[in-house]
Formats: sequence, C-alpha cells, structure tokens
Amino acid sequence: MPTSSDTRGDLAICAEGLGKAYVKAIGGSRSDTLRDGLSAAFAKLGRAGPRTPRSNFWALQDASFQIRHGENVGVLGLNGAGKSTLLKVLSRVTEPTTGRATITGRLGSLLEVGTGFHGELTGRENIFLYGAILGMGRAEVARKFDEIVAFAGVEAFVDTPVKRYSSGMYVRLAFSVAAHLEPDVLLLDEVLSVGDLPFQRKCMAFAKDLQKRQATILLVSHNMFSIKTMCERVLYLKQGRIVFDGPTSAGIELYEADGCLEAAAWAAKELADPSVRILEVEIADQTRRLRSVFDRGERLRLRFDYEAKAPIQGANFVVAFIRSDEVACCSYSTELDGLSLDLEPGVNRLELTTPPLSLVSDVYRIEILVREAGFQKLLCAQSGGSFHVRDPLLDTHFGVFHERGAWATNEVVHLARPKVQPRGAEL
Amino acid sequence: MTSPHEPARRDFGAGTVVIQPPAGFWSLDLREVWRHRELLYVLVMRDLKVRYKQAAMGALWALIQPIVAVAIFAVIFGHFAKMPSGGVPYVVFAFAAVLPWTYFAEALRRASTGLIGDAELVRKIYFPRLLTPLALVIAPLAEFAAGFAVLLALLAWYGLTPGPGIVLLPFFLLVATSLALSLALWLAPISVRYRDVGHALPFLIQVWLYASPVAYSESLVPQRWRALYDLNPMVGVISGFRWALLGSGSPDLQAIGLSTAVIVVLLAGGVVFFRKMERSFADVI
Repeated sequence: MPTSSDTRGDLAICAEGLGKAYVKAIGGSRSDTLRDGLSAAFAKLGRAGPRTPRSNFWALQDASFQIRHGENVGVLGLNGAGKSTLLKVLSRVTEPTTGRATITGRLGSLLEVGTGFHGELTGRENIFLYGAILGMGRAEVARKFDEIVAFAGVEAFVDTPVKRYSSGMYVRLAFSVAAHLEPDVLLLDEVLSVGDLPFQRKCMAFAKDLQKRQATILLVSHNMFSIKTMCERVLYLKQGRIVFDGPTSAGIELYEADGCLEAAAWAAKELADPSVRILEVEIADQTRRLRSVFDRGERLRLRFDYEAKAPIQGANFVVAFIRSDEVACCSYSTELDGLSLDLEPGVNRLELTTPPLSLVSDVYRIEILVREAGFQKLLCAQSGGSFHVRDPLLDTHFGVFHERGAWATNEVVHLARPKVQPRGAEL
Repeated sequence: MTSPHEPARRDFGAGTVVIQPPAGFWSLDLREVWRHRELLYVLVMRDLKVRYKQAAMGALWALIQPIVAVAIFAVIFGHFAKMPSGGVPYVVFAFAAVLPWTYFAEALRRASTGLIGDAELVRKIYFPRLLTPLALVIAPLAEFAAGFAVLLALLAWYGLTPGPGIVLLPFFLLVATSLALSLALWLAPISVRYRDVGHALPFLIQVWLYASPVAYSESLVPQRWRALYDLNPMVGVISGFRWALLGSGSPDLQAIGLSTAVIVVLLAGGVVFFRKMERSFADVI
C-alpha cells in the first residue's frame, strides 16, 4: 500500500454529488400488478410524440462530503430528510442516480437490527447466516463465535430457535454479530437506540473502541444524546440536501430549531389528521423574556398558539419534558391541574408556568399532546422545541431531578458498623 | 485494549468500494458473486433447514411428493390407460421421470419467488442478489438425492441395473439445473415488481408437466410434432434420464442439442437481465 501523504489517502468516505431519485408514477398510483404494468406500457406505445416526462422525487441530492478514518459523524435531519437514503446508498443497498462515492476499508452496515435473522433457525445457525450476509467468512465467524455470544449474553440459548428469544435477546445477538465484523467503516441507522440501557452503554463503549482503532462511524439517530457522545461532527440534511456540515453542537442547534413544531414520529400512524395543531411555541422565563437556557430552580413560562378544527369538549393539553437520552422526565396536564378546556374552532392561546425546575442539568425537548378528556383519544402530538437546564453540580448522575430532603441527626446507635455487602454482589 | 496483531497503519486498499450509478448494460461484475461464495453455501443450508425444521416428518416430505405423484400416474396411466412404458415396469418408468421433473419444478418455483421471502433483507442489506436464485436451484438437489436413493432401491427391487449410460446422468441433471436457473433469472426480477409471477407459476408448471414426457413416453408424440415438442428442454432431460437409468430408448441427440442451445441463450440473457434489474430491487420490492 502506498504511504499516502495526501489527504485523500486518509479518507474513509469521499462522496461527490451523490443523488438518488425515485420515480413517482404518473397519476399517483404505482402499477403493482402485471396488468397495470402492461396496460401502462401499451398506453406508452400507442401515444405518439415524446414520452410523458416522468416526475422524479429526489430523496437525496448533490451530497458531497469527506470523512477521514477515525472520524465519527452523525447524520441529523427530520423525518424524510434523506438520512436513510444516504445510508442506503453508501451501504450499496440501492444505487445512486448521480454522483459517486468511494469507501476505503471494510464496510459494515446495520440499517436495521436483525433483518438477516431467520426465526426458525437457532442462535448458532443465525450467527453464521448473518455473519455471511454481512460478509464474514465461516472461519472468521467460528473464530469470533464465543465472543459474539458472550457480548450478546445469550450463552444459554445458542441452540434455541431465535423466534423464542425475547426481543431484547434478539436485538443484542444481531448487534453483536454486526459489531464483531470489525469494520473500518460502520454505517448505523437508529440501531443504538434499541435494547435496554446497560446494553446501550455496552454498544457505546464498543463504538468508542472501534473509534480508537481508527474505524469510522456514520450514525443516523434521533437521539441527540448518542450523537453528542459519539460524534464530533454532524451532517444536517434538509429535504435531501446537506445544509450543514460542521461541529456537533452547532448542527444540533439548527436541527432543534427546525424540529420545533414537527409532528411526533411515534404518533404518525394514530394521527394521520390531527384535529388540533400547535402553531407557535414560545419558551420564556417569568419576565416573559425568550430564553433557551435556564438555571435549575427557575420557572419556565411556555406559551403556545393552537388551532382547533372542530369544537372539542374538555380537551386535555399535556406538556412533557423529555431528556436528551429520551427519558420522559415530567409532564403537566390541564386536566390533572383542574382546568377544563372547551375548544372552539379557531386560533387560541394557552400559557403554562412550571414550578421551579428541579430537573438536573441537560437538554430537554418539549412535547405537546392534546387528548380527549380522561386521557382518551390523541388529537395532537407535536414537538415544541427544547431548552437547557444549567447547574454547576447536579447532572444526570444524580438522577432525573433533585430535591432537598429533610435530615435529622441522631445519637449513636452502633459504635461498630455492621459489614456492608459490596455493591453489585446481588448480580 | 490493544491487540498485538494490529498494524500501525491499516491496509484499507483491499476493501475499497466505489459507489456510482450503473455504468452500462454489460457491467456484470460476476467476481463480486464469487467473492460471496460462502454466503451461497449458507443460503442453501438455510433453505433446507428452514423447510424441514418444525415438521415432525422432517425431510421425509421430500420423498412423499414424488412417491405420491408416481403412485397416481401408475394407477391412472399405467393401470387404467395401459400406457406403454418401454419394456420396464411402469412404476420405474414413471419414477425415473418424476424425479428430475420434481426437482426442476421445485427449483424453478423456489428460485423465481425466493427474493420476495427475503424482502426485508433486500431492503436493508447489500449482497449480490444473484445468490438467492442460485442457492434456491441448488438446495432442491438435496431432495433430489434423497429421491434418487429411493429410485435405486426400486431398481434393485425389480432386478434392474443401469447401463454405462448412467455416467451421463450428472450432465442431464446439470441441464435441468441450468434450465431452472435461466428461467428464474428472468422471472425473479419480474416477481419482485409484480407478484403475479407467484400466481402464474404453479399453473405454468402444471401445463409444462403434461407437455413433458413424465407420465408417458415421448415416442407417443406424432413425428410431425416432434421438432416442436423437442423445443421443450425437459424432453431432452427426461428422455436422457430414462435412457441413462433404464436403457430404454436412445438419448435424443437432436432434443438435447437443441435444449442445451436454448438454455445457453436463456441463461446468458437471464444473467444480464437479472444484474440490470437487481439495482432497483431494494426500491421496488
């Protein structure tokens, strides 16, 4: 290998003008049966003159960037911004329409955990199957077999069909196989957010270890906590284009500003046509000064304008604060606070003043929900921006929130303290 | 964590991938398929394991299908219709044809529609898609082998010994494999787009069965239709099997030559068609 001194030699990914267009069928419907396809073909034949222009939808457009070996880069963007398309193109699942990309080194990609698994096969058989699909040789899988099983923590179940696995075990085993591929370039799409917290930590540690070995990780995530801990740089995609390429903190700020008022992804199915819409949100302090950073102990004043499409009796507005690691920390509800709201069609305003914030220092995103009385049918679920809580000492190590307790000292009961069991012995 | 066999500077050269829009119609890159040959083996094993995993009778099912077919033919065509069977017992006569036919039909059906079963995989993970139909024409060979053992037992029961022609049996089998593969390479990309293939295929196979000399001898076909009849490559395969195993008739050289030519053309075209179409599989499946 040439001892390259030029910068190109250090590049793990070099993308130049990558674009991906999907063909939108004319008339809005895809020809899904052969008959439709044939009649469309005949219609085309019969038509004289130039072909009807096919309307293209550009899921990704003119994406150019360079990533060095050992660099971890996060990919940010709202739903449908082209993040997954970018990863699909880079992992060769689909071919780009324009541009080119060069990836140097062994490429590993994990666009969804466990897609290569077959339920009827045992854990052992699936490890070999999935390994081969990801490009590992049998000898290599055999060599790493014990490590893979131990990392996933499924030693007792290697010879059980994976359809009997718990979803946690399933995900852990799948990630474990992919992680042991030892890629030079690893593409991850929302996969670190699966599994329980201890396993997530394990994955983070593993990713850090990969990074130490000069591996490059391109990570798509909605979880700002993962992005912040793993990536020093982010690409921010908007409507298929890279609109920002730079330091993580600046990118996240842009993303969060744009994410304000976005419909909550988890409710998309339930809420195809929300009957209440949040139009504007203002985050301010008690003096109505707009702010995004608060000291612990301050109150937050949240004002939002909403529009109801129809009259709604006894609507229940819920405001939730969700920490950057997606822990829902607290919520406020008009119904629980004894406020009954009958909505009339039109634009109205609602204001919430919180008690003094006892949340520990971190970034919190606001989610605004509207439900029918009695926490029934969901009428609206939107993001309402985010804010920081500042505290010199109290951070997530201290829990979700911190409150003062009442203490009392007592006279000495025992001179010699009984032996305390070491922590973790119960494991 | 440092590992001793970690070079100071890693050699990334071996794994460089260039991603760009399809270069041209003829860029087949079959080396890529060769590099993934281990995956081929794994996919073959997966198909076999999954098929018989939670069936109490397991791989016995692979034998029941041809045995039942032969039993039906023996009753209807052998016993009632008194079909001529070239001097050998009708049961053996039918089994020698049902065996390659069952293999061919299974291989064609599985390989043509197999990608749909792996839709999730196709959408999320890159691998040369050609491996799926390839694996699915190879896997039914295991069932063929099991059936072949039954056939040998049947021959021994009737005191028949295959002649020297049996050395050509692998060739006839290869013709059947290639035929199934070549058709699947055309049908699989269509089935990815249009599920109609899955509905039409059993029907096509049913018609094809009666257009092939499985239940009857090809000598029953009137001479003036023979040229047309011989265009069906399974005619050459089945008459070849009968000749190799039972010594009945003689290998129809004209039919075999013609089938081989037809298959080579179909196969070459199929590979090009498949490689061209597979680029959009992830988008339309």
